[in-house]
Amino acid sequence: MKLLIIEDEEGLRESIEEYFTEAGNICETAASYTAALAKVELYRYDCILLDITLPGGNGIDILKVLKNNNYTDGVLIISAKNSLDDRLQGLDLGADDYLVKPFHLSELKARVSAIIRRKMFNGSNVLNFNELSIDLMAKTVAVNGIPVKFTRKEFALLIYFISNKGKVISKNAIAEHLWGDGIDLANNFDFIYSHIKNIRKKIMEAGGKDYIYAAYGMGYKFADQ
Amino acid sequence: MKLSERYNRVNLIATIVIMLITGAIYYQAISLILTNQKDKSLEVEEQEVFDYVKLNRHLPQVFESKDQQITFVSAEPNSVKREFFNTTYYREKDEPESGRGLVSSVTVADRYYKILIVESKVETEDLIQIIFAITIGVILLLLLVLVITNRLILGRLWQPFYSILSELKLFNVTDSREMLSPKTSIDEFNELQAEVTAMAERVKKDYKDLKTFTENASHELLTPIAVINSKLDTLIQTENFSEHQSKLLNDLYSAVSRLSRLNQSLLLLVKIENKLLNDRQHLDLNELIEELLYQLEDIFSDKEITVTSILGEKEVEAGAYLIDILLNNLIINAVRHNAAGGEIIINLTTENLTIKNTGENIALNAENIFTRFHKSSHSEGSGLGLTISKQICESLGYQLIYSYEAPYHIFTVNF
Repeated sequence: MKLLIIEDEEGLRESIEEYFTEAGNICETAASYTAALAKVELYRYDCILLDITLPGGNGIDILKVLKNNNYTDGVLIISAKNSLDDRLQGLDLGADDYLVKPFHLSELKARVSAIIRRKMFNGSNVLNFNELSIDLMAKTVAVNGIPVKFTRKEFALLIYFISNKGKVISKNAIAEHLWGDGIDLANNFDFIYSHIKNIRKKIMEAGGKDYIYAAYGMGYKFADQ
Repeated sequence: MKLSERYNRVNLIATIVIMLITGAIYYQAISLILTNQKDKSLEVEEQEVFDYVKLNRHLPQVFESKDQQITFVSAEPNSVKREFFNTTYYREKDEPESGRGLVSSVTVADRYYKILIVESKVETEDLIQIIFAITIGVILLLLLVLVITNRLILGRLWQPFYSILSELKLFNVTDSREMLSPKTSIDEFNELQAEVTAMAERVKKDYKDLKTFTENASHELLTPIAVINSKLDTLIQTENFSEHQSKLLNDLYSAVSRLSRLNQSLLLLVKIENKLLNDRQHLDLNELIEELLYQLEDIFSDKEITVTSILGEKEVEAGAYLIDILLNNLIINAVRHNAAGGEIIINLTTENLTIKNTGENIALNAENIFTRFHKSSHSEGSGLGLTISKQICESLGYQLIYSYEAPYHIFTVNF
């Protein structure tokens, strides 16, 4: 897939680019309003990661350009502005999602994957990974065609893993994804492990492979090795 | 005591005292003048007796007059000293009246007589009484008029003052409402009004500057935090960490996570106060709480906390974002300050939402638990959760109240 990262903060831009660049992905970057505008007018992207505060202009204006030209690029706004107005205005103008800084790269990846899935599959909502088949609409999982019952959290976690396949995801990122603000209450992240254990068990009992690897006590990696 | 009341009181006492003194002087003066007149009339009478004696060389015949009695008594020569005196006048059958007398002497054909002329003062006294009554009447009328006008005029005069006062009472630093200025032609009030308005503007500006500063500072912090976060995420993709390195990375993660939450809380506070989050929609509280409890399930069991919820139906018109934060904060608060093996009881009715939790067996200070960065010594929170909850409740017109009924700490949201 082809992505455009519009972000003026070099450190963040590089991290995102590095995280998203993998086989089959092309990442382009723009560090200013004018550079972004030039790219947006010339090329089409599967998804544009758009920062609102840019040197030389406002990211919202880029969104307007896209809308006025009826370009259907997916747009994910990444902004330090957590104002609801910005969010609503952005979504009104056709942005697909809104993510507030700071975020985990895995969270960003999951959101971008969701946007691209929606665009590419055109209403079809089945995500396939080897023998796993996940219906995003009906929220069901099948392994080798056999339906397996997942809880809501396990389901969300599985999708999160598949969106970030091949990446090490920190326990922290997983916890924030599943438990939101309540997560700083936890003494430890042991309960993440119990969910992961369940996912593994359910997939393997249905004849699937074990794709989840623990990574040095820091996090987990979902990979087909 | 009200100013007008105080003023009236002083004014009245002063007026009455002065009136009483004036009255006394007035009374004395009038009676002096009238006594003088009486004395003159007695002298005239005496003179008549002298003239008569000179002309006729014998004493005039004594006849009974209505207001005057003359008696002649023979006396030792030169034993009588001429003088005026107050006495009692006896009229036939009537009550004794006050009178004025004159003792004098006359020599008729070598015989010495004492003359006693007494006149009734009853008419004079009547006169004094009438004059006095009229005077008192006028004084009372004057006092009455004074009180009424004072009350009316003072009330009207002070009207602008009371308007300014009520404006001041309504003043809220977070409010963008302009202060109304009452129209008045009184310089003092105009000056007061101008100063109060200027002060309010200054306070609001300072407060706004402070908020802008908080907002800007928080914003500026977000980017570096985002960079640290993303660099950490990138770092853990590089393979082969030792256990020690993993531990360090985990600590870094949780510190960054706390930092970003604190930062977001500060931004959120500014936004609620600026009323930037004012969208309203229909929300089913019952459903939202159920969802939240499901989400936090693992945390409850991790902390061995029993959660009991009795949820009635309750719908509110509010911003989903704010309600979400409010519920989250209150429930997380109940978990955070709970003991292992503790209890949380959530009760939702159409009037209120109560969240009870066990915890330390001592009531908290209801005054300062809602202030910024107030937290118990061992709390891991940002110290902003309850402040934010309170602000959200205020912005939605709800009331957030803390109470303690052993062993429960109770937070109640009154809708």
